[in-house]
Amino acid sequence: MEKTSSPYQWGMAIDLDRCTGCGACVVACQAENNVAICDKKEIAQGRDMHWLRIERYWTGEYPDVRVRFLPVLCQHCHDAPCEPVCPVYASYHNQDGLNGQVYNRCVGTRYCANNCPYAVRVFNFYPHDWPKPLDNQLSPDITVRSRGVMEKCTFCIQRIRRAKEEAKGEGRPVRDGEVQPACAQTCPAEALVFGNLADPQSRVARLSRSPRRFKLLEHLGTHPSVFYLKGGGREHV
Amino acid sequence: MKRRSFLQLSGMTAAGALLAGCQAGNEKLIPYLIPPDEGVTPGLATFYASSCRSCPAGCGILVRVSEGRAKKIEGNPEHPVNRGKLCARGQAALQELYHPDRVPQPLKRSGPRGSGKFSRISWAEGLGLLTGQLRNLQKEKGADRLALLTPQLRGILATLASGFMRSFGSPHHLSYELLMPDWLRSATRASFGSPSLPWYDLAQSRYLLAFGAEFVESHLSPVHYGNAFGRMRQERDTVRGHFTYVGARLSLTGASADRWLPARPGSEGALALGMARLILSESLADRGALAANGLGAAQLLARLDRYDLPRVAELSGLPEGSIAEVAREFATTRPSLAMAGETVAFQSNGPESVRAIELLNLLVGSLNRPGGVYPDQGSPAGPETSFAELCSLVDAMRGDRISLALIQGNPVHTVPPATGFQAALARVPYVVSFSSLLDDTALQADLILPDHAALESWGEAIPLAGCRETVIGLMQPVVTPVFDTRQFPDVLLAAAGELGGEVAAALPYGSYLELLKKETLRRVAPAAGVDSGTGWASLLQKGGHFGRTGSGAKVFRWLPEAPLPDPAEPRFAGDEKKFPLHLQVYPSTAFHDGRGAALPWLQQLPDPMTTVVWDSWLEINPGTAAGLGIGFGDLVEVSSAQGSLRLPAVIYPGIRPDLVAIPLGQGQRGGGRYAKGRGANPLDLLVARLDEAEAAPCWNATRVRVVRISEKGGMVTTGHPQGSYRSDLIEI
Repeated sequence: MEKTSSPYQWGMAIDLDRCTGCGACVVACQAENNVAICDKKEIAQGRDMHWLRIERYWTGEYPDVRVRFLPVLCQHCHDAPCEPVCPVYASYHNQDGLNGQVYNRCVGTRYCANNCPYAVRVFNFYPHDWPKPLDNQLSPDITVRSRGVMEKCTFCIQRIRRAKEEAKGEGRPVRDGEVQPACAQTCPAEALVFGNLADPQSRVARLSRSPRRFKLLEHLGTHPSVFYLKGGGREHV
Repeated sequence: MKRRSFLQLSGMTAAGALLAGCQAGNEKLIPYLIPPDEGVTPGLATFYASSCRSCPAGCGILVRVSEGRAKKIEGNPEHPVNRGKLCARGQAALQELYHPDRVPQPLKRSGPRGSGKFSRISWAEGLGLLTGQLRNLQKEKGADRLALLTPQLRGILATLASGFMRSFGSPHHLSYELLMPDWLRSATRASFGSPSLPWYDLAQSRYLLAFGAEFVESHLSPVHYGNAFGRMRQERDTVRGHFTYVGARLSLTGASADRWLPARPGSEGALALGMARLILSESLADRGALAANGLGAAQLLARLDRYDLPRVAELSGLPEGSIAEVAREFATTRPSLAMAGETVAFQSNGPESVRAIELLNLLVGSLNRPGGVYPDQGSPAGPETSFAELCSLVDAMRGDRISLALIQGNPVHTVPPATGFQAALARVPYVVSFSSLLDDTALQADLILPDHAALESWGEAIPLAGCRETVIGLMQPVVTPVFDTRQFPDVLLAAAGELGGEVAAALPYGSYLELLKKETLRRVAPAAGVDSGTGWASLLQKGGHFGRTGSGAKVFRWLPEAPLPDPAEPRFAGDEKKFPLHLQVYPSTAFHDGRGAALPWLQQLPDPMTTVVWDSWLEINPGTAAGLGIGFGDLVEVSSAQGSLRLPAVIYPGIRPDLVAIPLGQGQRGGGRYAKGRGANPLDLLVARLDEAEAAPCWNATRVRVVRISEKGGMVTTGHPQGSYRSDLIEI
């Protein structure tokens, strides 16, 4: 993990023991980030545009069957496989540890999505429209991406920027819990916790030290900023 | 020309050209020169507090409004029901506001009913038609020929609607919704003497035993209990709450359980009593609680004699060992909590089964205790027999005793056709719909007077059983209306004003807002010391009035005369040989009873358990499917004694082999471009009543047959049918 000068290292903890798989985060993300509405045909081709998905695993057989849910979003890796392959530097690493994506640099080679082991980058294979007056819901804080552009979870960077600006105006650091991406904000079970990993007292940093923690595909050495917490007692599996 | 005047002139021309250029090209941009007092500050968002109307839970919301347009809905952190959290349906309510197929202005039918041919009319003409119809009824001395159908209204709107009907002189006001907890109110009344809904202190509980209660997706207050569930699991340092789910289908809620008991449909009540007997016979019951409720352990045990373990195991199809183990865990891991849900209630023996489950709470001393169950203070009373009222209204419509029906909501889609509602409605000469989309009900209407979307409306949202406190949530318009629509209560008031006489005297209000403000301040002011001037503004700012639990709070106490619950043998509609499988219909996570199906975000949201998008499906056990030659995604035909429909099959490992399940919500004939003609409506299969004497509906007591048609189900899932098998790789 490289040293950076920023006082912030944004990260997330996802408590799988709390997660009920309800899907509120998925819709919240789509609402916040102007994520396109995809029709059935597009999804059938595997071209769903959700930045955040909930994976579902069945294990065992009836009647000893279990379901597990795993919310998967961009892991904001510190050694991100998507970054070095971009020929135009559209995917970059910012000083706060975020995997950024500059939409107007992107030329649509899709090398980054190809290289992402978590399959969280989505590509605009088709032009999408918001039939009037549905376009009124589009957030003015984020670009509406056009066809041929790669996009992905940004940890709601527009919210982070705003919080940092406000904090800077008041001459203080961003407080823990002051900024939350849309998914963490809406999660009914409070399974998603977002915050500054560089602050050892922050809630996310405390959770990231939990003995239940693991990282997704940790052996690949991508050093994700997202920590998962295993479900508690699974004694009846 | 002087040099100075030349420069002036050319400067003005350039400025003029620039201005003209700006106006021509950028009409939609708001220039920065508009001062903030015009209501718009470019780039700065405003948050308005309001309440969510997407389901009866009544969560508090904050709506982010930027440049006069609603952008995002968030939970209101101050609201005691949802504590700043919100579900997928609440998030998507924004699309209800900006739906491209909203009814833009009043419509009058111009083709045959159901053809969808309407002509646009003005509000004056629309209101004229409505009051003309009402006057005709008055003139013909047929005031009782008017029917008003609404969802289950609460608070001021309920008073207004019933006041309108009473003063007009008609008894036919029906408040019916498929999924409302009438069954829970009547069960609580039978056992405890008051119709209060229970509020479960889930967050403090150590053991949850849920009998078909889908509290994560639909039961009572999903966001509240979803949040409480998270806290039950991981908020306490040394305690992780345990969760056992009982039900024939592993639902989304059941997926979070530590243990699943797939009891045979209809056997849940007997199972609960079997557990009760075991708890009593091993002296694990709370003797103090029994004494406080006037019950003795020995007598109770004698009366539960029939529910011995081998018999209960036989009835429920579960191993004796698991039943005994769960019963002991439930009795010893206190505070523990038993919850009964719709899946149980909509069986033929549902009401008694629900009471049996409530008895479990009494036995372990969980009534009125932290971590247990309390009576809800917010909406203490409510309909308990709305299904019977629906049936009598259908009879009235069938007997041509109704000539004008005013319909708010979409009953044509959400009432099972077996009740005869749709056929009877076709006999009503004039139908007025208040739908904001051309939904199934609006398509059958003669006149559509479109209602505001929730985010354009004034109103009040009294939460359904989501908290112990008294909560009055307020709704306020966050944007100016997008279309030429009017609020349903305002239309009622306008009609009342036009009619004059008794009706106008009963409803002497200029607008719904006036009534809302007056009534809310009257109820809140004495408690909170709010004055009427600034009080209203501060209530709106907060999103409502959130009270505290009073000292004189009600408690649950077993009625001395209440009989012990005695669930009968479950009965099912349809011959077992001809229709070998049970059918369960359940509210879809995304659409609830169908009200979310019009919104593309919810259609695109993969169903959590099956990952199906934009469709409906049949869930079938892998073994049963193999026996019938059905593969994943195959098109199948499901038939019952009532009807049949075709839809794709999902091989679902978490369902009993003798059961199939279909989610509610799809299969709409209208509802805009995103919902129209998509999937199938399982209500078409249901048998309404098993016999004429039945007072409660049994939506889960229908038997069906499933036949494979072809491999072309046309279903799309985002995930692999089985999920990944590599879950060891990611260590969960």
